[in-house]
Amino acid sequence: MRPEIQEYNYDWMMGSTLKAAAALPTGTKKETELTYRYIPYYKNVAQSFYSAGAPGVQTLELLAKYYENILTAHAQGKKICATTFCNSPVILYAMDIVPVTFEILTAIGAMVWKRGMFDYMDFCCETGMPETSCSSQRGAQGAVLSGLSENIDFVICDTPGVCDTNANAFAYLSEYLDKPFFQLNYPSCIGDDRSQKYHVDDYKEMIKFAERHSGNKLDYDRLAEVLEEVNKQDAMIADLEDMLMLKPTPVPPIYNLALYAGRFCFSGHPQYTKLLESMVKTAKGYADAGISGLKSKEEKLRVFMCYIDHYTVNVNFYNYMEERGIANVGSILSRNFRDNNLYVKDMPGSSYSVDMSSPEAMLDTIAQMNARLPMVRSIRGPYDKKGMWLEESLACAKMYNADCMIYNGTPGCRNTWGMVKPFARDIEKHGYPCHIMNDDAFDDRVESWDATRERLDEFFKVRGLL
Amino acid sequence: MKVFNDAATRVQCDSITRWKKEGKPVVGYTCSYTPAEIFYAADILPVRLRGIETDGMEVGDTYFGPFICSFPKCILQLAGKGKFSFLDGAIITPGCDGMRRLDECWRKAGEDFDGIVPDYFYYFDVPHKSENHGMAWYIEEVKELIKSVEKHFNVSITNEKLTAAIKAFNKGRRLLNEIENLRSKDEIVVSGTDVFAATIAGTVMPRDEYTKELKKWVTALKKRKTSLSKNKHRVMLVGSISDEIDLFELIEDTNKAIIAGENLCFGIRYEGNEIKEDGDPIEALADHYLGTSVCPRMYGKYKERLAMLKERIERSQAAGVIMQNIRFCDLHGAENALFERDLEAIGIPCLRVEREYGPHIDAGRMKLRINAFLERIDAKNDHKLSEAVAVSA
Repeated sequence: MRPEIQEYNYDWMMGSTLKAAAALPTGTKKETELTYRYIPYYKNVAQSFYSAGAPGVQTLELLAKYYENILTAHAQGKKICATTFCNSPVILYAMDIVPVTFEILTAIGAMVWKRGMFDYMDFCCETGMPETSCSSQRGAQGAVLSGLSENIDFVICDTPGVCDTNANAFAYLSEYLDKPFFQLNYPSCIGDDRSQKYHVDDYKEMIKFAERHSGNKLDYDRLAEVLEEVNKQDAMIADLEDMLMLKPTPVPPIYNLALYAGRFCFSGHPQYTKLLESMVKTAKGYADAGISGLKSKEEKLRVFMCYIDHYTVNVNFYNYMEERGIANVGSILSRNFRDNNLYVKDMPGSSYSVDMSSPEAMLDTIAQMNARLPMVRSIRGPYDKKGMWLEESLACAKMYNADCMIYNGTPGCRNTWGMVKPFARDIEKHGYPCHIMNDDAFDDRVESWDATRERLDEFFKVRGLL
Repeated sequence: MKVFNDAATRVQCDSITRWKKEGKPVVGYTCSYTPAEIFYAADILPVRLRGIETDGMEVGDTYFGPFICSFPKCILQLAGKGKFSFLDGAIITPGCDGMRRLDECWRKAGEDFDGIVPDYFYYFDVPHKSENHGMAWYIEEVKELIKSVEKHFNVSITNEKLTAAIKAFNKGRRLLNEIENLRSKDEIVVSGTDVFAATIAGTVMPRDEYTKELKKWVTALKKRKTSLSKNKHRVMLVGSISDEIDLFELIEDTNKAIIAGENLCFGIRYEGNEIKEDGDPIEALADHYLGTSVCPRMYGKYKERLAMLKERIERSQAAGVIMQNIRFCDLHGAENALFERDLEAIGIPCLRVEREYGPHIDAGRMKLRINAFLERIDAKNDHKLSEAVAVSA
């Protein structure tokens, strides 16, 4: 790791950067222009968020707040839990525990810095993690392992049975730092009584673990408050989902990122409610005017990202979509599978509902919600089985009027690279041109953004899509 | 030993051919979490699927993506080439992400290559934890598997038959344990390569035939006097799945080392443990196959695995540990790093090496690394000796 990187606490560095960025638009034009001169590498990403209007700035505020929570947790007597994006932070907020979601932190660093998270990723490998493991954890994990971030107190992951590289990263971290570890484990099916029961049984064990290591007993009144907030958020997410179906969609591409990043950071927290309100308001404005959410206002193509987006420097991927007039109708990360979404109608057993009538009902709610987070919901079993990835992707592509599908992940995504070729072939059989990106969503060294962009252009051209 | 070598080095060994000639079914399985006793109880030959004898990867690479371990790819390659045509059934288990995706890749390859997917193709869903509900899930899975086998093959698998199967398998397990005892002595009379071949044979041969052959071999081993370990370093081999005799030969052909023990998915680590013969046989199977699991897919159990490895190192008197992982096997790759840290800290030399499964195209590189490692152990011993001399002087 370069010596200059070791000079700063990673959480502080990112938190300060985001906080300053969120404050910048409040200054005068002169102040803003002057500041840009001092942040040449960060200017482009900041401008990308500013140009998304109020929701863009609120996204920066939300992310800055996330770091602030991490940085102040211990001083406030709170415990910090390292966790993964497919484990909802709702229960942690209900128990006054501060989550550190590795994939989010890695994505932020990758988008904000020219050198991305390379130093941290590489440090992680220096400690012994294989270089073939997933970059989405390796970035933030490297910061934690190197002692350059806030100390974590315990680890909870929910990817065993779904993603080995993800689960392995957290298991490794806990052993390396000798921190308590809990894994939620998912069976290969969903929606049947047996798997539903397993979700609840496992979740109850997780709560016991969190209580033991945080010293906080789960307060069901507090859980009800948090779930009430989730209820509000889910209604607005459903509104945004509905607007994504409109043609042209009034939802700008970068809103997808804000929608799920906010959910992974602050589900059940008012900070996310505020962001959603802002996004819904702006998108509704476009919808009422009958215009596209793209800056060019001309929607040329609708793309469904059947896995994840691309997060390297300057949010290049979202800007590329803007430049080409491509509407991003979401990814596996955007969908929450709440029962008020239209896309769940074609997939019985796939959704969760919110019931706050009793502690047991709330536990069931939260366990089933958690089991329907991205990846753990539909990558858990064979892709062509009931309720799994193929069915979900086709239902979404149809519902959102997608013109094509694109797979993007990291080389560490063994769970999808294991079968993405036959998956893509099946997608094509259903009439959707499908492109497999060979890059790393978090690491430009695997394939440069220039090469990735060329390949995307080639795909759109060869398939007659643009 | 000849029969074991045949079983260990050929996908369709003579024992399988003979079994098939009797008109009896064969079911392949991919993972050590599958209770082979179920098939024995139904007079079906359980055969652990392997990737040896692969001479290309055009089928494996067509369906699997590029970032996948070569072991499941080799199995798919063999399936695509018709090498598993003797199978009447296959059980796929989510041992890891690569292995679980063999399910889709094999089925999808079957759409392009006629007849390569056995009529009976079953996904056996093994949880990643053995406590409470994890164990309950596994027991239900075993019961479902039994029902499914009964229905497809028109057989009956009773508790009595399962208990008899457990007893039959335990006979072999006890014999393998005797071999471990022999290997733990100061002078080792059997090569690690031969022991591994005998262990692998147990995963493909009809069990009664295997036990009979094993008994003969163990009796013969007990009479052996010639030490094979003299002037050699006793090493232990651990890490990613391996059923390759070549890997063992590569180490022992240096003539500087003997493999005194291994901690591999195909090795004695599972085969050496007996299963309870009384009580509910399904629970006994579950206790063994899930409950005593030492695979890194069982996240959060590192300390148990480290303790077991230390015990094995002590028992085998290993002077060093060779840790290998197949490229893209992050589970063993990461765990090997932790093992290295913790074992080196207590003075046990370790070699950590990444490799490909299949034809040993990187045998030269591996040899170089292994030789360098053995020299390191030499140097350590020389240092100890000089220290002892200095103290006595």
